[in-house]
Amino acid sequence: MASLPRTTTGAPVDTPAPGHDPDTSVTQKGFKITTRKLPILKAGPIEDMTKKLGIAPPEMIFGDNLARIEHLSSGWSIEFHAFDALDQVDKTGDSMLKVSYSREWQQNRQKQFEDIKEVVKPFDWSYSTAYKGSTPEDPAFQPTDAPIPLALLKRPDPIIFFDDVMLYEDELADNGIAMLSCKIRVMPARLLLLTRFFMRLDGVMFRIRDTRVFVEFETGEVIREYTAREETYEAVRKALAARKQDVLAVMRDPNQLTEYIPVVDKALERVLLK
Amino acid sequence: MSIGGSDLDRAITQLRACRPIPENQVRELCYKARELLIEEGNVVGVDAPVTICGDIHGQFHDLMELFRVGGDVPDTNYLFMGDFVDRGFYSLESFLLLLCLKVRYPDRITLIRGNHESRQITTVYGFYDECLRKYGSANVWRYCCEVFDYLALGALVTGAATSLSPTDGPLADNTNIENFPEADAEIEIETLNSNGEIMYRYARNSDSQSSASQATSNPASSSPIAPTPSRTGPAGTGATSSANGSSRNDTGAILCVHGGLSPLIDTIDKIRLLDRKQEVPHEGAMCDLLWSDPDEIDGWGLSPRGAGFLFGADIVKCFNHKNDLSLIARAHQLVMEGFKEMFDSTIVTVWSAPNYCYRCGNVAAILELGEDGSNAGYVRRSNGDQGGGGGGWILGSNVGIGNSGANGGNSNTVGGVNRRLSSVLGDIGKGREGPGRRYRVFEAAPQDSRGMPAKKPVADYFL
Repeated sequence: MASLPRTTTGAPVDTPAPGHDPDTSVTQKGFKITTRKLPILKAGPIEDMTKKLGIAPPEMIFGDNLARIEHLSSGWSIEFHAFDALDQVDKTGDSMLKVSYSREWQQNRQKQFEDIKEVVKPFDWSYSTAYKGSTPEDPAFQPTDAPIPLALLKRPDPIIFFDDVMLYEDELADNGIAMLSCKIRVMPARLLLLTRFFMRLDGVMFRIRDTRVFVEFETGEVIREYTAREETYEAVRKALAARKQDVLAVMRDPNQLTEYIPVVDKALERVLLK
Repeated sequence: MSIGGSDLDRAITQLRACRPIPENQVRELCYKARELLIEEGNVVGVDAPVTICGDIHGQFHDLMELFRVGGDVPDTNYLFMGDFVDRGFYSLESFLLLLCLKVRYPDRITLIRGNHESRQITTVYGFYDECLRKYGSANVWRYCCEVFDYLALGALVTGAATSLSPTDGPLADNTNIENFPEADAEIEIETLNSNGEIMYRYARNSDSQSSASQATSNPASSSPIAPTPSRTGPAGTGATSSANGSSRNDTGAILCVHGGLSPLIDTIDKIRLLDRKQEVPHEGAMCDLLWSDPDEIDGWGLSPRGAGFLFGADIVKCFNHKNDLSLIARAHQLVMEGFKEMFDSTIVTVWSAPNYCYRCGNVAAILELGEDGSNAGYVRRSNGDQGGGGGGWILGSNVGIGNSGANGGNSNTVGGVNRRLSSVLGDIGKGREGPGRRYRVFEAAPQDSRGMPAKKPVADYFL
């Protein structure tokens, strides 16, 4: 199975003993960075999660997975996992999207089945979340103007630890994709974590919501940047076609898409750990 | 060149090695397949024994694993419930192999249409790109799409046995034989792992839902699978189902369809009347059959996505009753354990793509239905004796004694019994006995056998 936990050397831990720790972690200058990668949840845990959340979790729910940054001396941590991310999804149906052919479908349907009116368990089934990570209340992040120092991150410092952790994914019943995943790279003096929510609803819209966490180990400074992007499907399609891009290929790649999707929300915060 | 006889066998050999066949052979194959499929009705009649499979999604190496676990064509009869293509890396090889087998052994393999067997969906989810990459043009994709339009919409399995004869395979690790039904019990469900080792066994009408290794969630086990067949409702609901008389010692038919039911379809004959030879429409009965999902609701509901129906237990039970069905088998939804029975076992989801998209870590399953052998005719004593463990059978008077027990060689052939279903149907009327169901659960083929890049993420200087 591809999702078995792996050692930092990349070799699969093919027969983990019972109770084997599925975590991989590295400690660098007082910060412990941990990732956990396990298969999607089985039926029982999914039922539990459904009850606790009040909505049906995405089709591929990596409910045991996580990425965590811990400051050992203060006990502060920031953790990314699926449950808290999904807890922020709108559960009321107020911000519910409709698939591209919904109107056509509804019109035809209404002629025949006026009695079938009830929308089953309405909620934001695109699983759009503005999740910025789970953190203790104290010390809290404070607004700041100082951005993440990109120049330091562009240097080819050695990467001591790298991982890519999927938190959830849903195919929106073959109407596109919604996924939340974390990437983390740890260098000798600093780290960068990127948690990205990417959603494409075919024929309707795109959303990219990035949370970046930057840590400078020496100073204990943590900067968190949240950037939300949104654009209609048609606008992106036109822009790509105008540049003679392979439209469908680009539409699957959030990295290439960002330049076509304008920023609609932004927040910059920091916390200094002692 | 024409593809037939030895050419076809050569194509099969080549595809089994996961090598695409030349474009002209694909054209020929698709032409032959269409000639064959056009003769099939919208609902194909299939005789048990048959092995029912769910989504494949281009996971070629896992399809090979499926054949290893379930037996090869033509030794095993197969029914694939669609979604052969998209998502995986080998949609082309997977679909063409299945199509070759269909043309070569038309009575041994049945293919029905999934929602991914559509022009629109395949352009978005990979099959179109794959054809373009492997052939340099969209011709092959076009040929395949023409075949899609001719695929049947459903299948009706008849002649399935109502119970299984226990396999004499070894027990899987952690299986607790003490929980097994007594030796003389009628076996309704058996779950085997990919090595043919028994993981669970349930007796019909058993109150205890005898099962083995309920707690096999040990990831270290050679078969880290702990499917608990999801059976809503208390296990003992079958307590009074034995009051069903002796006239029904056979199981009803099993309807196989990719997605589910439609509010436009209340009888199977209505499916037969549809004009299926077209692209999957965005609405209407044909669309619903390929797209809808069962859900824990009453009656019909609308999907929150703004299109598509959801249907509840009452809908399934009514439909089954009206159409003399004992079970609906469908695919379409990923289930971690490979299969999921719902609504008192009136509907089951079968999922056959292990480690879906090469990252989900789920197991896959196939469903074997045995042939209703000549010794079908054991009927449940109608005395309301619920006898946990399923004791108390008498030989039906309509069957010659000489046949009983003569089928030791056929693992799927044992007599028929009444069914706990009938009691849960209560208000609707007497339900048909469900077929004996043997699930074979399997994991993904080993990574190294598929020539896939390692899944270890490559470190990159992302910003």
